[in-house]
Parts: sequence; structure tokens; C-alpha cells
Amino acid sequence: MASLAINQSNYLSKSMTGSIKTQKIEDSILFSLAKEEVGAFEKLVDQYGNLIWSIARRYLSNQTEAEDAVQEVFIAIWKSAGRFDPNKASEITFVSMIARRRLIDHVRKIYRHKKLEPIDNCFDDDALQTKSILDQSTDVKIISEAINQFAEEDKELLSLSIYQGYSHSEISKLMNIPLGTVKTKLRRNLIKLREIFNQDQHSIVSINNV
Amino acid sequence: MCSSDKELLLDLLVMQSTEAISDKENSELQRLIKEYPEYKNYEFDEIASLAHMSYHLDDNRSHVLMPSELKSKILNSHKRIDSLSLYRLKINAFMRSLFDQPTYAWAITALLVMGISFSMIEFKNYNSDFRYLPLERVLLQSTSNDLVEYPWYSKKSDFAMTKGDIVWSNKSQKGFIKISGMPVNDPSKNQYQIWIIDPLKYKQPVDGGVFNVNVTDQDIIIPINPKLPILNAKGFAITLEQPGGVVVSSQELILTAPEIRPSSTFTL
Repeated sequence: MASLAINQSNYLSKSMTGSIKTQKIEDSILFSLAKEEVGAFEKLVDQYGNLIWSIARRYLSNQTEAEDAVQEVFIAIWKSAGRFDPNKASEITFVSMIARRRLIDHVRKIYRHKKLEPIDNCFDDDALQTKSILDQSTDVKIISEAINQFAEEDKELLSLSIYQGYSHSEISKLMNIPLGTVKTKLRRNLIKLREIFNQDQHSIVSINNV
Repeated sequence: MCSSDKELLLDLLVMQSTEAISDKENSELQRLIKEYPEYKNYEFDEIASLAHMSYHLDDNRSHVLMPSELKSKILNSHKRIDSLSLYRLKINAFMRSLFDQPTYAWAITALLVMGISFSMIEFKNYNSDFRYLPLERVLLQSTSNDLVEYPWYSKKSDFAMTKGDIVWSNKSQKGFIKISGMPVNDPSKNQYQIWIIDPLKYKQPVDGGVFNVNVTDQDIIIPINPKLPILNAKGFAITLEQPGGVVVSSQELILTAPEIRPSSTFTL
């Protein structure tokens, strides 16, 4: 995760001077959307379209299903924009939470397991745009640093489950470990990540309050 | 309550945030959440999303561009929904301003009575334009605050491949079914009929209209057309009936939504 290496002093200064977590709500696209400002929905699609599309392709191999699901995700974000609170989550976390939830529900609805397809057919330098969005998000950085501290097997397991969308039983077969172990490790790692995240959130708040 | 129950609850919460859980697992999860109120649904959604973003950033292969056609489709749909919502708001505001003046209120009431009479004549043509049904469905989903949404469950093996869902709003008295994989029917011999279960108001299921299926390999959207006002729809069902439908059905249930309903509320 070289691209995610965070210089500690930069991280602290960023936290102190205002990260996404302390971003003014007026600056957020979701706030503009909730206020029904002209062009806000276009901005939302421009900013998060590629990200949501790439998440959808992880869960749904069928192009048409992925397209339907992405449309539903954007409608859901539009409907939920008024509930966004930058003190609770960054904009990108809020958007990705809605996207993941909707996509998992979509998979549930169509009763099928996803099969990963190669997605190397549409690379573009615009990827940098997504990266710059993510780079602004301190909460994602906290989690990236925490994951980097995990053992290789735990990192792989988290990636297969959360990122690549494999079911727990599929992971058990892929990694040749008992299903119970997959569940236990995933549970422990997610709880651990959440504890680290909550601790770091408290320290950011403390630093900002100094 | 024992520690194994708590571990099972945590496992199910993790599963809920990472994969598509079955209805049985979901029922078990909801039961355990009631026993452990300190935990809530989607407990791990935020941390899973953050971890997802972290892996996403690290994986250059993940950065794919959304197809431009899809982007245009999303923006165009939003514009249409937005303008329809705006239009509705403007009409509501206009109507409110008119009813502020009692002189106009009587005149409008008279006009409405005339309008309803004409609309009754047109009622049979309700389903004439199918082009806007997907849009109308999305509009109902995005504007209703009492929307119920259920997947269909097949009750007969011939319909095992049938998938889809139903959306309904009691306030709007409007709903749509979305369905695929339904066998094609011969309209001269039979038609599918929709039933609405409203046990507080009616002992018998209410006729929700009939429809035909011409294609099986793609989603079709059918508006629900209740023949009586619905107070609180608790369930929906589909049967295969004689052309034009029946008032009370004696046929087997083909699909239901949700899967299980109290048998006392449904006498089909």
C-alpha cells in the first residue's frame, strides 16, 4: 500500500487544520443536493460515478444488472442526502455505505452469487480523480493504516470478503480454512478495525479541540 | 442468553455487512437483535465501507470508468423525476392557494366532481401507455414515505424461475409489480390476476387487476389497479384466472409477497 503511506506529521496537521471530518457542511455535494441546488445531482454523478460503478462491478458481473443497480444507488443517495452529517462520517463514507448496502440488497434480491469478471478493459488516467477524492478522506486513511498492521492472511481475508465480495463459504474454499475460522477472523478483524477507528476519531477530536 | 448466541449475532451482523444473507439468516439476526438491544442492524456497514474504500484505493485495477451512456441515462432520469416532482409541488401549492379563497373552493369542487366522472370513463384505459411505467415506479419509490417493498416468492414449481418485487404506497393508492421469468400466458384462455390483502378493511382479497405476460427473459412492470380503496395492504398475491379475472378466486396461489402471511387474512 505504498500509495497510502501517510506521513505522520502531514496527517496530524491535516487533522488539525480540518479534514473531511471537520469539513464545513456547506462545502459538501450532499448538502447542495439536499437543498435542491441546481447542478448538485450532476456534481454528485461526476464526483462519485466512477467509484460507485466500480463497486457495482465487484458485486454484479452482469452489465445490465450493474447499470440498474447503479441507478438505484444514485436515487437512494439523492433521497438520503438530507440525512448526511459530516460530524458522523465523511461524504465518501456516506456515499459508499449507501452504495454497498444497496448493492448487497440487490444481490439478495436476485438470489445469485457474484462471479468476479476481469475489469481491466477500461483503465484510464481519470482513476487519479477517484484517488484524489479518497486522499482527502482522513477516515479512510486511518483504516488503511490499521489494515497495514494486520497479518497477511487477515489482510487477504478482509480483501476477499469486503472488497472482492466473496461469500464466507467461498473464502473458506479459496483459502482452504474452516468456515468457522473465516467467520471468527472476519468478526475479530472488523471489531478491531472499528476500535482503532473510534480511538483515532477521539484523538482527532481532541487535537481539534486544543 | 449465552455467549454463543452473542457470537452468532456478531457473525450474522458481519455477514449482513459483507454478503447477501438468506431470509432464514435474516430472521435469526432480527431475533437476536431483539435479545441484545445494544447491537443494531447494519452495525458493521460503516467500517466495512471504510475498509472497502481502503482496498479500492490500493487497487489500480479497480478504477473503472462509468459508461458514458449510463451517466447520461442517470442524469436524464433524474431530470425527468425532478421536473415531475417540481410539477407536483407547484400544482399542490397552486391548489392550496385556490382553496384559501372559499369562493373558488365550491367551483373547484364542482369541477373535480365532473373530472372524476370523466376519469371513471377513462379508467379502463389506465394501463394504455407502458413507456412511462419504469419512470412512474421510480417516482413512487422516491417520493413515498410509506412505501412497502417485497420480493415475490413462488408457490408453484412451474414458477420457480420467476423473480421480481412489488412496491406499494397506501397513501398514493398506487403500486407496481416488477417481474421476470414468468411463463407466457394465452390471453384467450387465461390471465394473471393481482390480489391485495387488506385484512383490516376487507375479508376477501381485493382485485388488483389482470395482466398478460408476453416475454419471460426480461423485467416487465405492471401497475397495480385496485378495484376498491386500500387502507393498509399487508400482502399481495398472483393467481392465474379466466380472461378478465374473477371477483373471488378459487385458484392456487402462484406468487406471494411477502412469503408468509397469517392464513386467517387470506382465504383464497
